[in-house]
Amino acid sequence: MDNALLVGLSRQVALQRQLDVIANNLANIDTNGFKGESVQFEEYLSSPARANAFQLKDQRVSFVQDRSTLADFSQGPLTQTGNALDIAIAGPGFLAVDTPTGERYTRNGALALNPQGELVTHEGYKVLGANGPIQFDQNDTNVVIARDGSISALNSNQTVDRGKVRLVNFADTQRLTKQGASLYSSGGQQAQATTATTYIVQGSIEKSNVQPVVEMSRMIEVSRAYTTLANLLTRTDDLRNSAINKLADTSSS
Amino acid sequence: MRALYTAATGMAAQELNVQVISNNIANMQTTGFKRQRAEFQDLMYQSLRRVGSNSSDQGTKLPIGLDIGAGVKTVGTPRIMSQGNFLPTDSPLDVAIRGDGFLRVQLPNNIIAYTRAGSLQMDDQGRLVTPDGYLIDPAITFPQNASNITISQQGEVDAMLPGQTTQTVIGQLQLSRFMNPPGLEAMGDNLYLETAASGAPQTGNPGVDGMGTLLQSQLEQANVSAVTEMSDLITAQRAYSMNAKVVTAADDMLQQTANMMR
Repeated sequence: MDNALLVGLSRQVALQRQLDVIANNLANIDTNGFKGESVQFEEYLSSPARANAFQLKDQRVSFVQDRSTLADFSQGPLTQTGNALDIAIAGPGFLAVDTPTGERYTRNGALALNPQGELVTHEGYKVLGANGPIQFDQNDTNVVIARDGSISALNSNQTVDRGKVRLVNFADTQRLTKQGASLYSSGGQQAQATTATTYIVQGSIEKSNVQPVVEMSRMIEVSRAYTTLANLLTRTDDLRNSAINKLADTSSS
Repeated sequence: MRALYTAATGMAAQELNVQVISNNIANMQTTGFKRQRAEFQDLMYQSLRRVGSNSSDQGTKLPIGLDIGAGVKTVGTPRIMSQGNFLPTDSPLDVAIRGDGFLRVQLPNNIIAYTRAGSLQMDDQGRLVTPDGYLIDPAITFPQNASNITISQQGEVDAMLPGQTTQTVIGQLQLSRFMNPPGLEAMGDNLYLETAASGAPQTGNPGVDGMGTLLQSQLEQANVSAVTEMSDLITAQRAYSMNAKVVTAADDMLQQTANMMR
C-alpha cells in the first residue's frame, strides 16, 4: 500500500531536480557560449518479492530516477558586437585556454588582452594558440582574426602574423564536464583538430543556446506534474485515513 | 529546492544587466563615452553522478553524468572601446581622436588621467584645460590675443599672434595608448585611470606608431547605439520575468508539498 506514496515521491524528487536544471538554463539565458541542458530519466524496477510462487505473479513496481543531464551542444545565435577581440565559433569546436588547473575548453569568445599583451579570456586565462599563448606587441593595431583562426595585426604600417587560435573538438562531447565559468574539462579525452566546417567569426559573440519558450513550457509541465502527484499522494493518504477509521470502527458494545 | 536560489541568481544578474544598459542610455549624449556590457558566466555545478565513473565491475563507464548547475554570475562589465561617431562643432578647441589613444589630463593632485572627450577650453591664463578646468598634459599656453587656432592631425597647435602674418607653433598635443584599454578604471567625469590590467601608458605624438590622429572642431560622440540598447533592454526584462516565473513555480511546488499534510 505504501507503493503509491513511494512511486509518487520518486517522481517528485526527480521533478524538483528537473526544475533545478530549468532554473539554471533560464538563469544563464544571457551567458555567452552557454549550452542548455535537459534531464534524462530512467525506470527503476523494484526487486520482486522473494516468494514468487503465487497464482497471480507479484507485480513489480517501477519507480522513476533521474539518470543524467544531457547538454545540447547546438549552435547558439551570434550577435554582432563590433569588438575586434570578440570571436564566435560557428560549428562544433572549442577554444583551448590555459587555467591554473590545466587546459580547459570554452565556447565563450569574449576575449581581451592582459597588460603583457597576451590574448586572455575575461577571467584572465590565456587563450592557447598552436604554439602556446598568443602574444601581441605594444604597437599592434587593427587586430584581424581570420575565419581559420589565424591572427594578424598592423604594426608600423606592416601586417604582422601573431599566430593562430587553436580550435579543438572531442569525439564525445557529452563526456565533457562543465566546470562553471563557461569552461569545460576534457574528461580524459584527447583533443582533436576541428573539421574544416568550423570557422571563426570576428566581431561577434555566441549567445546562450537556451530557448526560453521551450524552457517555459518544460517548467509548466514540471509544475503540473508535481501538482498531479501531490494530489495523488493526498488521495492515498485519504484512503489510508478512511481505512483506519472504518476498519477500526468496531462497536465496543 | 535549489531552483529558487538558481532563479534568484538569474534575477540578480538581469537586474545588473538593466543597470548597465540604463547607464549606457543615460550617457548616450556624453562626449567620448564608451558603452559597457555585462558579461555572465555559469556558476559551479554539483555532480550527482559523475561522468566517466564506473557503472559496473566490467569497466563500463557512464557516458553522461548528472550535473546540476547553480545559476549564473557576473564576471565583469567590460567597456567596448570602439570608435564613436564624429559631431562637427564650431569651436576650434574641440578635438576628436580618430583611432587609438587618449588625451592626458593632469588632475589637481598631479595624477595623470586619460580621456577621449576632447571638448577643450582655455582658462583665464590662456592654458588648455578640460571643461572641469584640469590642465592638459603636456601643458599648452596660448599668448594673449592669439587667434585662428589650428590643431593639426599630428597634434601640432598653431595660432596667429597679433602683428604677425604667419602661424606660430604654440605647442604639441600628445596621446597615450594602452595595451588593454578596457582595463582602464573609469573615475567619472569622462576620465580614466591607469591600472595593472590596462598596462603602462605609451605616450607619443598623434599619428605615430599606430596612435590615432586628431580632428579639429569635431567631438567624438558616445559609441552607444540606441537600437542595440533597446533590444538588450527588452531581452534583459524578459529574462528577468522568466526567472521570476521559475521562483513562482518553485514556490507553487513547495506549497503543494506543504498542502499534502492536512
